[in-house]
Amino acid sequence: MDATLLTQYALAGLVIGAIYCLMAVGITFIYSVMRMINWAMGEFYMIGGYVQYLLIADWLGPDRWYLALPLAIAGVGALGMVVQRVLLRPMFAGGIERLDEYATIVTISLTVLFRNLAVVIFGPYQFSPRDYAPPVQLGPLPVNGSRFVAFLGAAALLGLFAWVVRRTWFGLAIRSVAQNRVGALCAGIDLSRIDMLAFGIGVALAGAAGALLAPVFLVYPQSGALSTVKGFEIIVIGGLGSLGGSIVGGLLLGLVESLGSVLISPAFRDVYGFGLLVLILALRPTGLWGERAREA
Amino acid sequence: MRPPVLIACGLGAAALLPLLLGTYPIHVLTVACYYVILASSWNLIAGYTGLFSLAHHAFAGIGAYASALLAVRAGAPVPAAIVCGGLCAGAAGYGLGSVTLRMRALYLALATWAFAESARIVVSMEYGVTRGDLGLAVPLLLPTSSPRPYYELFLVCAAATVAGLALLLRSRIGYRLRAIRDDETVARAAGVDTVRWKRFVFGMSSGIAGLAGALYGHYVGLLSPAAMQFDEMALIIIMVILGGQRTLVGPVIGAVVVEVASEGLRAYGQLRMVVFALLVLAIMRVYPPGLAGLGRALWTRLRHGQPRRRYHRASGPAT
Repeated sequence: MDATLLTQYALAGLVIGAIYCLMAVGITFIYSVMRMINWAMGEFYMIGGYVQYLLIADWLGPDRWYLALPLAIAGVGALGMVVQRVLLRPMFAGGIERLDEYATIVTISLTVLFRNLAVVIFGPYQFSPRDYAPPVQLGPLPVNGSRFVAFLGAAALLGLFAWVVRRTWFGLAIRSVAQNRVGALCAGIDLSRIDMLAFGIGVALAGAAGALLAPVFLVYPQSGALSTVKGFEIIVIGGLGSLGGSIVGGLLLGLVESLGSVLISPAFRDVYGFGLLVLILALRPTGLWGERAREA
Repeated sequence: MRPPVLIACGLGAAALLPLLLGTYPIHVLTVACYYVILASSWNLIAGYTGLFSLAHHAFAGIGAYASALLAVRAGAPVPAAIVCGGLCAGAAGYGLGSVTLRMRALYLALATWAFAESARIVVSMEYGVTRGDLGLAVPLLLPTSSPRPYYELFLVCAAATVAGLALLLRSRIGYRLRAIRDDETVARAAGVDTVRWKRFVFGMSSGIAGLAGALYGHYVGLLSPAAMQFDEMALIIIMVILGGQRTLVGPVIGAVVVEVASEGLRAYGQLRMVVFALLVLAIMRVYPPGLAGLGRALWTRLRHGQPRRRYHRASGPAT
C-alpha cells in the first residue's frame, strides 16, 4: 500500500469525521439539556442541504456561497426553535407521563413529515450545487475544494460552539441546566428559553453539516437517514452526554470508515461503524466518556 | 349493544366483505390485517410494558427471511417454515430482550434501533444467501393467486392475536407487565420477576411479529430488505399512536385506517404520509387517546347524552 494514498484516505476520513462530529455534538447537546434524543436530526441535516442548494443555485448565485452557509445554518436553527416551541415545550408543562417516549414519538413523526414534505415539494430527485472552491494543495496531496471548505467550516463551528459553551454566560447557563434542571431554575434561569435555544443550536449544527456537505454529497429527501445513523453510532461510541466523546468518536468513525474501505472492502463501509460500536460497547458499556448512570 | 356482540358483528362483517369487494380492495385489507398484528404486538411491548423497542419491523423481517430461506434453501414445507420463522424471531427477540435488560428508555431505544439497522444491513449484504436487494422469490402458502383465502387467513390471525393479547392482559401476567411499565423498581419490590417478564414480553411480541412477517412473505411471494427499513417502524408507530396507545382496539383501528387511507389516497403520492405525520403530531400534542378514545367518547355521549368523564391521558384503565 502506497503511503501517499494511505495519507490521502486518512485525510478524507478526517474531513468526513469532522462533519460527523457536528451531527454527534448536536445530538448529545440536545440530550444533555433536554434529556431527549432527537431522532429527526438527519432531517434537519437534509433541510440544511436543501436550503444551501436553493441559496446557491437560485437566490444568491454560486459566487456568494460564503453568505449561503450562515443563512442556511440560521434558517435551520430558527426552524428548530419553532419545532421546540410548538411540539416539545409542552413536554415539560406537566400532564405528559413519559417524557422520553413522547419525545421519541414526536421526533420520529417529524422524520416522516420532513422526508415526505421534501418529496412533495422537490420531488425524489437528487440535487447538488456546483463545486464553489478550487482544489487545494495540502503538501503533496490535492484535496477537493468543497471538502476542504467543509472541513474548515466544521472545525470553525465546533470551535465557536466550544467557546460559547465554555466561556460565555449563556454557556454557563446551559451547562447548569444540563447538570440539574431544578437547581438551574432556582438560580433564576429561564428553562424554557434555554431549552428552545439549545434545541435550535443543536439542530443548527446538523443543518450546518448538511449545508457544508451539499456540494460533496447529493441532496435528496432520504439524505438525512445515513447521517442520523452515523450520529447515533458516534454518541454510543463516545458516550451520550459527552461533547469531547462525540468529537473523538466522530473523527474515529471517519478514519475507520475511510481506512476500512481502502484496506478491507468498500462494500461494507457502513458496517465498520457498527463493528466499532459493538467493540466499544463490549469493552466499555457507557461509551468512551459516557455518563456513569446507565438508567437514563 | 354490549361489546362482545359488537365485536362479533364487526368480525362477521369483515368476513363477509370479500362478497362485496373486488380483488384489489381485498388485497389492501389483507395487508391491513398484517399491520393489525404488527401494531397490536408492538403495543404490547411498548404501550403496555413500557419497553420502547424500535426493532419490531426487524423481527417481522427476521421471521419472513428465516421462513423463506427454510422453504427455498432447505425445501421445508411452507406451514412448518412459517412456524419456524416465528420461533426464530421469538428467539432473537428473547436474546435482544436479555441483552438490553438493564437499559432503560433512551438506551433501550438506541440499542434496539442499532439491532434493527444491523439486521437490515446483514440481510442486504449477505446476498449470497438472501439475494439482498435483488429480492428473494418465496413459494406461496396457498396454491392460488386469489387474495380471498389469504384474507380469511389473515383475518383469523389478526383476530386471534388481538384476542390472545386481551386474555394475556387480563391475566396476572398483564398486571405484572403494566406494573413494570409504571415503575420497575416498585414492581420488583412487590415481587414481580421483572427479568423474566421483560424477556417474556420481548420474545412474545417478536414471535408474533415474526409469524406475521413469515405469513406475509408467503403471501406476497417476494422479500427484500426494504421491508426492514426504519420507515416501516415509523409506520407502525404512526398506526398505534393514531389509533390510541395502550388500548386494544387502538392499533386495530389505526392499522386499518392508515393502510386503507394510504391506498385510497395513493394518487396524492407522499402527501398522504405528510398528513399522517401531522395527524400523529396533533394527537400527541392535543388528544393522546387517539381515534379509539375519540370513538369511545362519542359512544358514551350517544348512549348517555353527555360524556361520563374526560380522558386526560391514554393510560386509563385498559378495556
